[in-house]
Amino acid sequence: MTRSAWQSRIRRTQRRRPGLRHSVVGALCLLTLLSGCTAHASSDTSSGGDAPRGQSSAAPARLGRPAASQRVEFIPERLILPGHAGAAVLPAGTVDGVLRVPENVQHVGWWDGSARAGEPFGATVIAGHIDSATEGIGFFVRLRKIKVGDTITLRADSHWLKYRVTSVRKIPKKALATDNQALKQKGPHRLVLITCTGNFHRDRGGYDSNLVVVGRPLGLAH
Amino acid sequence: MAGLTVSPSYAANDTEIYVVQGLPGKDLDVAVDGESVADGVKTAKVAGPIKVKPGKRKVTFSENGTTVLENTFSIKEGSKADVVAHLPASSSGDPLVTVYKYDDVKVPNGKALLVVSHVAAVPPADIRVNDQVLFANIANGESLQLMVPVATYKVSIVPTGENKPVFFGPVSLTVKGKAINRVYAVGDPEKKTMNVAVHVLAATTTGSGKPSEVNTGTGGQAVGKGPSLEVNLAR
Repeated sequence: MTRSAWQSRIRRTQRRRPGLRHSVVGALCLLTLLSGCTAHASSDTSSGGDAPRGQSSAAPARLGRPAASQRVEFIPERLILPGHAGAAVLPAGTVDGVLRVPENVQHVGWWDGSARAGEPFGATVIAGHIDSATEGIGFFVRLRKIKVGDTITLRADSHWLKYRVTSVRKIPKKALATDNQALKQKGPHRLVLITCTGNFHRDRGGYDSNLVVVGRPLGLAH
Repeated sequence: MAGLTVSPSYAANDTEIYVVQGLPGKDLDVAVDGESVADGVKTAKVAGPIKVKPGKRKVTFSENGTTVLENTFSIKEGSKADVVAHLPASSSGDPLVTVYKYDDVKVPNGKALLVVSHVAAVPPADIRVNDQVLFANIANGESLQLMVPVATYKVSIVPTGENKPVFFGPVSLTVKGKAINRVYAVGDPEKKTMNVAVHVLAATTTGSGKPSEVNTGTGGQAVGKGPSLEVNLAR
């Protein structure tokens, strides 16, 4: 029997009788051994090319694939507060220890070192202006009206994740970096919205406190 | 070559594979297109990186000169893949080769991309991390990934939706930061050969450090407008 006849017979057998795979693999191994001599002989003289040598008897390997339960994790692009008030979310980096939120006070900034929405651990941190000397009242003035139990939604393209507000706190600015919830990237996943509040000191150019809203995810991201 | 050493970061344009040896009780020699690339790779060890030409390649796993597995796979220029020799879901079946392809992923400071793959002789499983199912219903030949903070996690593998029998673990797994941690569950619990092969690749980092200050009010116009925070908190 020629090799091609063998192979077509093996293929037919595989289709019909998956239970026979053991003997089929044995036959493939035998073919491999037989063709192995040719492959080794030619490997000394050939400098290699795109055509693999001696693979006529080898079947394609299985391809690993993601399981259906793969979690969605996304960088937020839009934030929706109660009352359908929405704002664009832009990535914001830390420069000299200060988070650079978007200049446009109607936009808010996602700290680019924080968790993406839907990650299993860590805070997704979004900060925005309550006001600015040049642009007036900011989008996050609305955080003053947020209360425990409210729903906040993050979106990006077709992805979304809702959070339920679990705490609204005013903390001194200097305490933000060491706060147990606000910026930490360990612990259960949460959404953290940050703006300014407290007493405004015009001579120091800002407020003395941060308003920190924490929300827990309602299930997994979609 | 093996275990928890961090592989070099993605070299631009290099087409590379790593070989993961998931067959219990064997030391395997590996050849690509008939040319030897690794010798005596022990169970749960990783060999590589192995530069290969883009296109259709053939990988051969052999033991003492006898071919154990031989399969072809395709790889694009600049791509990476883990080529895994392992047991099927049913321990009575034949070993097979599964190729997991992947691209570079950006990982923030202090975090790690954790990719778990099921290549063991067990049915679909849940992977419990710190007593929580983080990777659910994953079958032989599948993988799941998550971004996690750098830490040591308690990991165990159980049947999907069940607490027992425990197929593997619990074991402590320390993930490496700014890296992709590819973890392969290998072996057969009935023969007490369950193990994990860990392949860590340095990743491109992204994102900035933790801020010490968030200044989001410079105008003072919001003072006295709307409900005060104190009123809000009292509700």
